[in-house]
Amino acid sequence: MLENIKNVCDEVVFKKLYLNYAKELKQFLYFKFGNITIAEDLIQDAYISLWKNCEKIPVGKAKNYLYTLVNNAFINIKKHEQIKYRHQERVKKNNSQLSYESPEFILQEKEFYIKLKNAINGLKDNQKEVFLLSRIEKFTYKKIAEKLDVSVKVVEKRMHNALVILREKIGDI
Amino acid sequence: MNNKDIHITDDTFLAKWLANEITDEQLKKKVSEKDFIAYKKLQKGITLYENLETIDETSYAELKAKLPKENKAKIRNLYYKWAISVAAVALLFITATTTLFSDNTVSNAADYGKNKQVALLDGSEVILNAKSEIRYQKEHWATHREVFLKGEGFFKVKKGSTFTVQTKNGSVTVLGTQFTVKSISDYFEVICYTGKVKVKSNHKEYILNPTEGFRKINGNPLEKIHENISKPHWLFNESSYKSVPLKYVLKDIENQFDVVFNTDKINTNVLFTGSFSHKNKEIAFQTIFKAMELDYKTTNTKQIVLSNKK
Repeated sequence: MLENIKNVCDEVVFKKLYLNYAKELKQFLYFKFGNITIAEDLIQDAYISLWKNCEKIPVGKAKNYLYTLVNNAFINIKKHEQIKYRHQERVKKNNSQLSYESPEFILQEKEFYIKLKNAINGLKDNQKEVFLLSRIEKFTYKKIAEKLDVSVKVVEKRMHNALVILREKIGDI
Repeated sequence: MNNKDIHITDDTFLAKWLANEITDEQLKKKVSEKDFIAYKKLQKGITLYENLETIDETSYAELKAKLPKENKAKIRNLYYKWAISVAAVALLFITATTTLFSDNTVSNAADYGKNKQVALLDGSEVILNAKSEIRYQKEHWATHREVFLKGEGFFKVKKGSTFTVQTKNGSVTVLGTQFTVKSISDYFEVICYTGKVKVKSNHKEYILNPTEGFRKINGNPLEKIHENISKPHWLFNESSYKSVPLKYVLKDIENQFDVVFNTDKINTNVLFTGSFSHKNKEIAFQTIFKAMELDYKTTNTKQIVLSNKK
């Protein structure tokens, strides 16, 4: 009986919806726009909207709702923007990521991303562990060494080897 | 061969490089050109991977901070009503909807030392300088484009209905153009890069054409400025000033490098002309303070005390 009453307004439920779906939504949006900031902004907007309408949306329909929201946002922006890469100013300096890339470029990026993701998943356990602790959890090598109870040199060696393998897997440009 | 090379052993340098402990130049010396290009591409890919794979407690906390708070109280009521009757639930839905939709505000802010790009709903864009913030209403955006700005932003406005930037110091209205607005404490500055911009300050209106700028620093008479570049320096990690009171330059440094200055011993109204890069704190400090003949000292409370050179 209590299961039926579980709803999106419950923060525990809402948080779970975030941890479960935000990642795939972000990737979906990134590969549509080619721009990480827009993806992050739209995800936030979508979840805020979900929260505001939480009484009206059953847990089972939440995922659909989020996808509909971000899709509509994409279509709206496209309509007003007329995204054609030739008409966009490409800012080459490293700080500005804004460049609406062509569909072909985005597809290439996506393929490369999948290749890299698989390569990371395929790393040996101890290398993968160091890689993720460093890049995703953002720990310093020193902290990782403490955590794993090994020397910093060992951590750096594992990371170095992981990078050598990843470089081999992604191949030449 | 300099001292640092001796310490870069052959089985850890990639790890050090990725953690920015050694530079691209140093890496180039250790690998072939083809490999260097591949590692740079790998580095870009890893950055994207980090961006797309990080959905966790931290990013959730950021989202949570932006959620409206009213919902919590409603949950208990809601469960209770559901147990009672359907009619009561319908009534609650209606009241809940009206209160929930009253807050349609979106806000975006840039962190210390970072710029932030914001895409607005009609395709217009704002790039915010460090520690700047904008707020706007989502509803009716197409016909009512209004943004509240605190700090500094570079705006690229798509042609459409009137677009207004409101700040504490004045407002800026355009139809479709590129411009910067800076409103930090009592410093107000607008520079037009393309199109035409109308500035309202102290009940007076001014029209700006490309390369024209307007600056009003509290009590002082209004200054007209001329800017020949096509985009503001801070988009490219650099700050550039011409005859601006030092106190505003110090504020910018605080925002870029996340430091705090103690200026009790110096005159902060002195005018500063010069530029500095946002990439290296020490170099920036040396550049600026040398020019102003100031000494700087870090105290144990992390404040940096400025004093005049003897």
